Amino acid sequence: MTPLAQQLADWFADLLRGPMAGLRGADPVLGLALVVLVGLIVANLLHRHLRLPRLFGYLLIGAVASPAVLDLLSRGDLDPWKPLIDLGVAALVFELGTRLRPRWLLDNPWFTVSCVLEALLAALCVGFALVALGAPGMSACVAGAVAAATSPVMTMAAVLEGRPRGQVAERLMTMSAFNSVLAILAIKLWPVWGQLGATPFSDGSSLLANAGVVIFGSLLLGMAGGWLLDRIGRLDGQAATMPVLQIAMVILMALLAVALGLSPLMVLLAAGMTARGRMGHRLTVEPHLGSAGGALTVLLFVSFGVLSTLGELMQLWPWVLAIIVARLAGKGIAIAVTARPSGLAPRQALALTLTLQPMSSLAVLLVADSFSWRGQLAGADAAVMQALLIATTLMQLTGPLWALWPLQYIARECPDGERNPSDGA
Amino acid sequence: MALEAFTESQPLTLGVELELQLLDTHDFDLTPRAEDLLRELVGHEGAWDVKPEITRSMIEIGTSIQRAYLPLRDELRDLRRQMSRAARKLNIGISGGGTHAYQHWSAQQIFPTERFRYISELYGYLAKQFTVFGQHVHVGVPSGDDAMWLLHALSRFVPHFIALSASSPFVQGVDTGFHSARLNSVFAFPLSGRAPFLLTWSEFGEFFDKMTSTGVVQSMKDFYWDIRPKPEFGTIELRVCDTPLAVDKAAALACYLQCICRYLREERPFEPAEDDYLVYTFNRFQACRFGLDGEIVDPKTKQRSKLRDDIIRTLARVDEHALDLQALDASNLIRDSVFDGNDATWLRGLRRKTLPMPAVVEAAAERWMS
Repeated sequence: MTPLAQQLADWFADLLRGPMAGLRGADPVLGLALVVLVGLIVANLLHRHLRLPRLFGYLLIGAVASPAVLDLLSRGDLDPWKPLIDLGVAALVFELGTRLRPRWLLDNPWFTVSCVLEALLAALCVGFALVALGAPGMSACVAGAVAAATSPVMTMAAVLEGRPRGQVAERLMTMSAFNSVLAILAIKLWPVWGQLGATPFSDGSSLLANAGVVIFGSLLLGMAGGWLLDRIGRLDGQAATMPVLQIAMVILMALLAVALGLSPLMVLLAAGMTARGRMGHRLTVEPHLGSAGGALTVLLFVSFGVLSTLGELMQLWPWVLAIIVARLAGKGIAIAVTARPSGLAPRQALALTLTLQPMSSLAVLLVADSFSWRGQLAGADAAVMQALLIATTLMQLTGPLWALWPLQYIARECPDGERNPSDGA
Repeated sequence: MALEAFTESQPLTLGVELELQLLDTHDFDLTPRAEDLLRELVGHEGAWDVKPEITRSMIEIGTSIQRAYLPLRDELRDLRRQMSRAARKLNIGISGGGTHAYQHWSAQQIFPTERFRYISELYGYLAKQFTVFGQHVHVGVPSGDDAMWLLHALSRFVPHFIALSASSPFVQGVDTGFHSARLNSVFAFPLSGRAPFLLTWSEFGEFFDKMTSTGVVQSMKDFYWDIRPKPEFGTIELRVCDTPLAVDKAAALACYLQCICRYLREERPFEPAEDDYLVYTFNRFQACRFGLDGEIVDPKTKQRSKLRDDIIRTLARVDEHALDLQALDASNLIRDSVFDGNDATWLRGLRRKTLPMPAVVEAAAERWMS
């Protein structure tokens, strides 16, 4: 009997002893593949009968399989899949970059103000709320900075599933990219302001220089990637090979970013924007970079679900609630104040505020060394970080509802009737 | 519902309406953003008007009443400047052109007003297929009888306006081979085509009463004729033009019509006859299909001639009227476009350079907005 056949036989034997025990004993690769399969079926059923977003179904099944619920899969079980998951994230972020139009920020200065204000107010509100509840000041500030970000992955996946056309969706894409970059800046600068006063000035300056290298290096690498895609695209000249080229470029850029210690999210956003700017309509970006990318999105969202953690929720719930409510309030106030001068109707402002709520830890620290981002914020208060993680989990699990329902039912930007059968998959 | 009385208006005054495309700045497909733009343009400067059209990806603008080319052109330029500024603020592109090159009709959304909902329910999918973009020119006439006479006298010039304004070669991503494919969409409507040959307002009133009694028609708006009387404005309305890619051309077309109307009214070179319509549909087809290279048949002499030559001859005949109407610049622009080719030729030229369709639409938007 081959090892795989033996494994399957053992697995089925386990299955007969008890379904849960069987799944727990399965090979992690096989186990996740099965969970993804179940996720697909359940997501389609939820979508068809309850009109819930498919993305929500994937997350839900992932969460059910996670250690927090049935414990069918552990975080470590995702390790063999990490390159694929990273590629799924990277493809969506690159695609988001191609959808951004920086010129809009110049044409509508109030929209620029809105972008900055919603990130700053969300960060400040979260920071103040946590401090008011007794959290250490510096840790509360960094938690606020991270909480300012809207998940760009959730945003792009929701846009691909709902296919909205309108101001709210366009502002959502720009704002999620903008506030995520601001969050990255805050995280990269955390070692500087987290240790201010505790280290000699020379150490502070070297940390600052390092942060500068990360930021400008990421932008430069991204621009180089976009330029390279343009040049190779001209040499090749075949539109049919463009998705392959794009996937190759996305992998290359993400790996280089990690190897050089840069921010993959910033690199891929810059690469997408540069490629769009240089290539114009020659850059035909298939949704999810094609159907293979679509499969990665399913895997990605099931994995997000598996990574759910609600540990210590009972102890930390006031802080978790404070983060979620303060974030909502901060973004809501900023959008409301700038809505009229920036050309947004009240109904659209409400929809935009709600669509900005999804959070995602992975999206901020794209293709990090591990699935844990807490290591990147060494020195921050553990309880604050755990509260932030729980809030992130909750806003990630419910993210598709926050992102899609306002677009569909408040802004009414999604097409009528059944959505594209291939969306979200 | 009886036909309303014909409002008297000053002869040869002009009004221009343009239906415009609202574009997504990412893929340059149509985008349903009319409400956003309308809201942004509330309180705009100037006497011009902006209003919704049948689907949410369209918008209609209308000038104030004008008498000469330069004020009309300046008003259209000012209108374009304010609209472009508002559109850029909202990240929307605006373009002329009779059709969008690759929009899909089923993706269009009906603008939520009672009138548009009625049209949508009555005509079904035709209403969404009516996402095409035309220029309508109103010319003032003093009475209903004058309106009916001029309407029919103008019928033999209709191919001129189709060929000169043609800017709709592409439909659903394909080159149709037509210069103006837009009019094929309009032709699908049961009350399209030419108006019945009635030369007095009272005769037209009787016809209108008969039509309303059948329940087929509720108001003058239900007639989609190429030229129709507009009693509430005191005008006749030419509806065959595609929206040009630039506002100067739109103003020039309006003034070319004004000159022809003056020529017809003052010189009375012929009396309109029912037989003029024997060749009407053929000539109309030639203009739509071949543009300025089309061949038309003179209804009186039965002779064939190139549409391009007929326009040049007509320009020569109306030159004196153009001078009196301060429309020589407009005449020159029309004369140039006869030789340079219409907007459909320009769009095809871009496509021949192997530009992808979105790039062609983007170039058209840049041309309109700049």
